Amino acid sequence: MSEVLQAIFEPWTQGIMQRALAEVGLLGLVGGALGCWILFYELSYSAESLAHALFPGLAVAALTGLPLLLGAGVGVVVAAVAVAVLGRAPEIGRDTSVAVVISALFGFGVVLALSPASPPGLQGLLFGDVLGVSNLDLLLAGALAVVVLVSLRLLHGQLLAVGFDRTTARSIGANPRLADIALLVLIGLATVVAVQGLGNLLVVAVLVGPAATARLLVRRMVPMMALATFLAFLAGVFGLYLSYYAGTAGGASVAGCMVVLYLVTLPLSALRRERRKLDAPGAGSPDLIPEATWSDLDV
Amino acid sequence: MENGKDNPYLAEVSGLSAGYAGRTVLRDIGFRVEAGSMVGVLGPNGGGKTTLFKVLLGELAPFEGSVSVGARCGVVPQTERSRIDYPVSVLDVALMGTLGRLPWWKRPGRVERRNALDALGEVGLRDLSDRQFGELSGGQRQRVLVARALVQDARLLLLDEPFSGLDGPSVKRLSLLLDRLSSEGRGLMVSIHDLEQVRDWDQVLCLNQRQVAFGKPSEVLTRPVIEVTYGTRVVMLGDGNSGRKTGILPAHHHDGEGRRGDV
Amino acid sequence: MYELVFGPFALPFAQRGLVEVLALSVGAGLLGTWIVLRGLAFYSHAVGMAAFPGLVLAGGLGFAAPIGAFLTAVIFAGGLERLSRGKKSGYDSLTALVLVGMVALGVILASDVFLSGSDIDTLLFGSLLAISSGDVVFAAVASAAAIAATFLFGRVWLAAGFDPESVRSLGVGSRFPDGVLLVLISLSITSALSAAGAVLVTALFVVPAATMRLFVRRMLSWQFGSVALVAVEGTLGLWLSVQTNAPPGATIAMLSGAVFVVAVVARRYTRTHAVYKKQSA
Repeated sequence: MSEVLQAIFEPWTQGIMQRALAEVGLLGLVGGALGCWILFYELSYSAESLAHALFPGLAVAALTGLPLLLGAGVGVVVAAVAVAVLGRAPEIGRDTSVAVVISALFGFGVVLALSPASPPGLQGLLFGDVLGVSNLDLLLAGALAVVVLVSLRLLHGQLLAVGFDRTTARSIGANPRLADIALLVLIGLATVVAVQGLGNLLVVAVLVGPAATARLLVRRMVPMMALATFLAFLAGVFGLYLSYYAGTAGGASVAGCMVVLYLVTLPLSALRRERRKLDAPGAGSPDLIPEATWSDLDV
Repeated sequence: MENGKDNPYLAEVSGLSAGYAGRTVLRDIGFRVEAGSMVGVLGPNGGGKTTLFKVLLGELAPFEGSVSVGARCGVVPQTERSRIDYPVSVLDVALMGTLGRLPWWKRPGRVERRNALDALGEVGLRDLSDRQFGELSGGQRQRVLVARALVQDARLLLLDEPFSGLDGPSVKRLSLLLDRLSSEGRGLMVSIHDLEQVRDWDQVLCLNQRQVAFGKPSEVLTRPVIEVTYGTRVVMLGDGNSGRKTGILPAHHHDGEGRRGDV
Repeated sequence: MYELVFGPFALPFAQRGLVEVLALSVGAGLLGTWIVLRGLAFYSHAVGMAAFPGLVLAGGLGFAAPIGAFLTAVIFAGGLERLSRGKKSGYDSLTALVLVGMVALGVILASDVFLSGSDIDTLLFGSLLAISSGDVVFAAVASAAAIAATFLFGRVWLAAGFDPESVRSLGVGSRFPDGVLLVLISLSITSALSAAGAVLVTALFVVPAATMRLFVRRMLSWQFGSVALVAVEGTLGLWLSVQTNAPPGATIAMLSGAVFVVAVVARRYTRTHAVYKKQSA
């Protein structure tokens, strides 16, 4: 028994792991809570695009020795502006324009990152370096996380009203424009926080995974946000244990656990819904695994 | 599927009920479409009009009842649903009607091109055959889609709200075209919201998840029928002086799919 | 002058890279138009990324890379297609998570199971200057398949994208042809992985076709133009990368992106200029 306890507590005696744990906690707070809104507003594609497109910012930061957080911040702004400016050609469609911007920016980032002048560590940029965060990084990330959480708290009513029914939102005093911009900015901030630990190819795991899992289990928004945060932390801790004992890459393990948690919850919740369906008929296509529909939400 | 010419009915439906997994959208539907007749299909959005069309086209199998469609059936969708950003000319769209009749590896040849141009001529757009589809006005695009159905040689045409979004003159032009098509012996089922227009047609079918009425406009277009069909009270407005009264239906919401406006 | 332009291509590895680019250009340009037309940019990106763990597996277990890539790409794509039927853009949380899960799996396989972590860069970003003749043959075959399939199914693909709900009523089933299109895209993308890598491969397929679409209004000219543009951008990017010692796949991606930006700006300028001219006339 004491061996098991020993195994449980041992990793956290090391500074690296303690900081990684703090990082995972921040990821959970930010990704879990914001993730619920990302799902509600169907912004997963935008979130992933932003994450990919900020890569050159990271590369420039690595090249010039500036903090990664700063590079990520600038990268996000550039990416958002690029999508806004170039995304309007009608013959092409928005998704395609976004894909064009991402691949061009990514290409640029790779040229920078693989150039001889650049320090090695490309994989850290791509997949995160959750075991390599410094105290300063944590402090900055923590500050950003506080900003995100406070904003979510203040905007909760607006976001709820606009997300629920955009067309009538104005009539009850909500502002769709504000909600959209605020969400995109917050996603940008959250991505900047999360990119350190998970890298920009894996960041979407924390932005979407825990929230999607929570959505399978819970129907009301605030409990969903709380549950998502908890699940994110849980999966993150699991990932860190895996990394510690199996020696697997840190960021990938954390991201992998978040995905696995979702995949495991998916069939279980589908089973529960099937049983509930027999009592109350509802619409749904037979060949799609049913995801929670927002009409069930008591918001 | 093709009956002999001696069957006067292009489509016969009785006891039909249909829907999607776990949900019945239509029940107790029964009507017949004669050759050369125009049938207006009235009803609120979500009331089953699109589902009915899908059943008639053979895309959706009914839960119960019988459906017999004795002629080739062509559908003319709303122009808003087709892509105006597509790199296709007006002629290209009309030629799409030949898809079902040519094997894959055959390109449309001179015969097919002539048919398509003739069909465009019938709808009054032969001169525009070389233009980009997206450059045309809403009314013109709608007529190109009618031409596509004509190229298919469809004797029964299903038109899904063809008048929505069109201005007055376009409505008139389309209306004349449809009259001419039906006088050539084709059958037309047109879903529509304008009660005024429907009064001149041959039959009216009122749907609101079930069949409320089917018959001649003069018999069907009564206040109680309309109220049941649309689920709202008809508001009677008096015309101050002459004492005449006009009934209006409160506006209905389009479903949240967000229609693209006419460009 | 001659030395400047043709110098890089005197090197044998550059020559093979050039042949590869040209072999890929037909498939990439042609399928690129279908990808842009039918809104399949995300699907193509996902197929490329999903191939990553397959490539790692192939490298680690010692079987041919294209097989590993194609297998995982097809499994993922097939599942994605089934699950995304009925959704607007085919993108939802399940898709996003499966995709990132596969990337994470690839990373763990590469860095901790097969200890091939150093290969990750080439798998993700390609190695156009280390192409084998087998890669070139694969690319040529994929391009030929693209031509054949376009000839056979092009009209159905066009009609299905134009008006998906009425296609059945036109008398053709679009299920099978659309399935062929998706498999063909998987095949072509797989053939381009060795050149551009899992992450950048969409740059070859989507960006040139999107650029061409800004100027061209008919299918046939769009298709020819896209193929030409891929060839030109690929060649120029390859030349640049040899001259500057930059990674070739990324250089091509960057170049095609720059061309796109120039195209958008140029078009907007000529548009407003034309309107202004009309107003002042």
